[in-house]
Amino acid sequence: MRVHKRGVKALTAVAAMALGVSGLAACGGGSSSDDKTVEIWMSVDQPVFDGLKKSMTAKAKKAGITVKMSKVTDINSLIMTKIQANDAPDIALIPQPGVVANIVKRNKAIALDDVISSDAKDSMLGGALEAGTFNGKLYGLLSSANVKSLVFYNKKAWDKAGYKAPTTIDELDALTDQIKSDGGVPWCFGIESDTATGWPATDWFEELVMKYGGADGYNDWVTHKTKFDSDLVKQAGEEFQKLVLTPGNHIGDGKTIASTNFGDAENSMWKDKPGCWMLKQGTFITAFWPEDVVKNFSKDVGVFGFPSATSGEKAPVLGGGDLAVLLNDNASAKKAMQMLAETDTGDDAAKNGSTYLSPHNDFDSSLYVNPVIKAADQVVKNGSGLLFDGSDQMPGEVGAGSFWKQVTSWITGQQDLNDTLKNIDDSWPSS
Amino acid sequence: MFLKTTNAVITVVAGVGVAVAVYWILNKIAELLPGRWEDRIKPYLFILPAYAAITLYLIYPSILTFIYSFKDSTSTEWVGFDNFTSLLTSHEFQQTLVNTLLWMIIVPIFTVAIGLAVAVLSDRLGPRGENISKTLIFMPMAISMVGAATVWRFLYAYRPPGQEQIGLQNALVVLLGGKPVPWLQQDQFHLNSLLLMVMLLWAQIGFAMVLLSAAIKGVPVDTLEAARIDGAGERQIFFRVVVPQIKGTIITVFVTTLITVMKIFDIVYVMTNGNFNTNILGVEFYNQLFTNFNNGAAAAIVVILMVAMAPIMIYQVRNFKAEEAA
Repeated sequence: MRVHKRGVKALTAVAAMALGVSGLAACGGGSSSDDKTVEIWMSVDQPVFDGLKKSMTAKAKKAGITVKMSKVTDINSLIMTKIQANDAPDIALIPQPGVVANIVKRNKAIALDDVISSDAKDSMLGGALEAGTFNGKLYGLLSSANVKSLVFYNKKAWDKAGYKAPTTIDELDALTDQIKSDGGVPWCFGIESDTATGWPATDWFEELVMKYGGADGYNDWVTHKTKFDSDLVKQAGEEFQKLVLTPGNHIGDGKTIASTNFGDAENSMWKDKPGCWMLKQGTFITAFWPEDVVKNFSKDVGVFGFPSATSGEKAPVLGGGDLAVLLNDNASAKKAMQMLAETDTGDDAAKNGSTYLSPHNDFDSSLYVNPVIKAADQVVKNGSGLLFDGSDQMPGEVGAGSFWKQVTSWITGQQDLNDTLKNIDDSWPSS
Repeated sequence: MFLKTTNAVITVVAGVGVAVAVYWILNKIAELLPGRWEDRIKPYLFILPAYAAITLYLIYPSILTFIYSFKDSTSTEWVGFDNFTSLLTSHEFQQTLVNTLLWMIIVPIFTVAIGLAVAVLSDRLGPRGENISKTLIFMPMAISMVGAATVWRFLYAYRPPGQEQIGLQNALVVLLGGKPVPWLQQDQFHLNSLLLMVMLLWAQIGFAMVLLSAAIKGVPVDTLEAARIDGAGERQIFFRVVVPQIKGTIITVFVTTLITVMKIFDIVYVMTNGNFNTNILGVEFYNQLFTNFNNGAAAAIVVILMVAMAPIMIYQVRNFKAEEAA
């Protein structure tokens, strides 16, 4: 009998310990149990993060809630894992609409149509809402933008040679030929990017499809209503081939392109006699440049928006950004979402010289400090709207898989354009 | 930080405490039974937590994976064999299988061969030379795969002609008057896959060497002497006397390396991410799950791997048992 009693006692002890352990685990999990605390995750650059945090914290204080903002890496796969484990933050800023689409597909995102005021929606740049809209409802709100339709050049050498920024694609063709006949290499181009090798080439496709097909043609292509193996995409591919891939229009051969890091491609552009003359890239590229070039940006660097197909036409601008997705349905999280949607939430991020570009029409452009962003802001204002990076919108199999890989194979000479486009079509998931 | 540390300490202490308590209770429960039954039941009770853990962490996920391989990308609807057929009919996946097969054939054979050669040769050195050479060859084992792969990328790194080459191999090529070669893109005869395999060999040979060296040292000297007296040459002694006696170790090393190779992921992921026709099952699985968010295809790949690995595991276990019995 004595033994029996001790057994019972021990059982109680074990149960207590087990409770203790699970209690600890809950503490470590870090899910926001408090309804007044809103957890927001993002993967933006540190200065952008600092700026947004400053504005958001001030606003949250006024509204009587607490925002806990965290900068995380590899948010695309992290957020899916967390969502499947039911341990997601309240709001996540996700750079890939394809990932947002996956969250929506799993019914884990909350529609924002009734959360965000119509005033805030009206203030968004043209095209900015479409990128976050799935099945007719708004799920991802563009919170910070970037622009990819930019062509950078070495200003001093450029002015000395007397080149002029082109206003149509034909003029860009002519300029490319002129640089070549003057003995220069027209384009700086590299597509190596570790596990994401190929993406700079997909940007070219997006740019040209958008310029030739307009916003509607572009959106049809992104949603696969227009196939890759179509006249529009072929036209874009051929123009890209003619402009950049023609031997002599870039450094080395196709294999050189595939093994040159996109951040190193323009290394020789800053010499007095540039090794290559033009670089089509996004606002974020300056992070890869030598420090003294960035410091003397307005003196040393020139930039023009990628020209439109016909002269005088207002063409869409290629860009990207972070989409805020609401993952928990509670009042404080909704409040925080509304705060994110306010135009002046970007003020501090613009003022600290970060690469933050506001997705709002009514943003005060004079607040921008960063010269690249000032230039990008002009390009956006001159365009007809901001269209989100197409490969980021396509399903992951294509946008972060076959599109990069197939185009890389094409550039390295393993297959021709037709096969490349057909292969990408084949990889498009059926559901 | 302090909170985290205390949390960790408490978790460890509580965890160990619970484990002790569980076994203590199981023991007590067994003691409640009448004498003979106590002895009969106790072993099963003691092994119960281990079986429970294996069921929870290994068998349950395996069964779930098997089930998911017949469901769609979000694991909500049944799709039959669609995941398997769409994978196996795609040209890219077939290439992935071919590459994986190449890895499975080449790496274990070379690991055993080179490991054996190093073990035999270093055995002939003086004790100091043996120690130094063995330490050097074993050292890569201590480096994490991702770190090693990052380092090896520099070995194969490529810059366009005219720019300064930062990769060792291309620096040599240029020094000898050649043109730099983008090594990791040379997919003729799967050269780039072979270059990736070299890295794994570099990392694995130390492991093979240590085991094989120990086995060689365990070969009884009298058998060698007997062979010498009978007039056998060194080569004959090695292949006819030494190798048969260490066959068990050779098989163990071979199979262990084979299993490592079938699961390999980090080297290819870091160096090429499966681009330029270097893809293998491990990387494809990762990309299906974390890039494409396609649970179905990822599960199907794992099932294919499990099916391929099962016979090897069974052979390994049998071999092990035979060795024990011998």
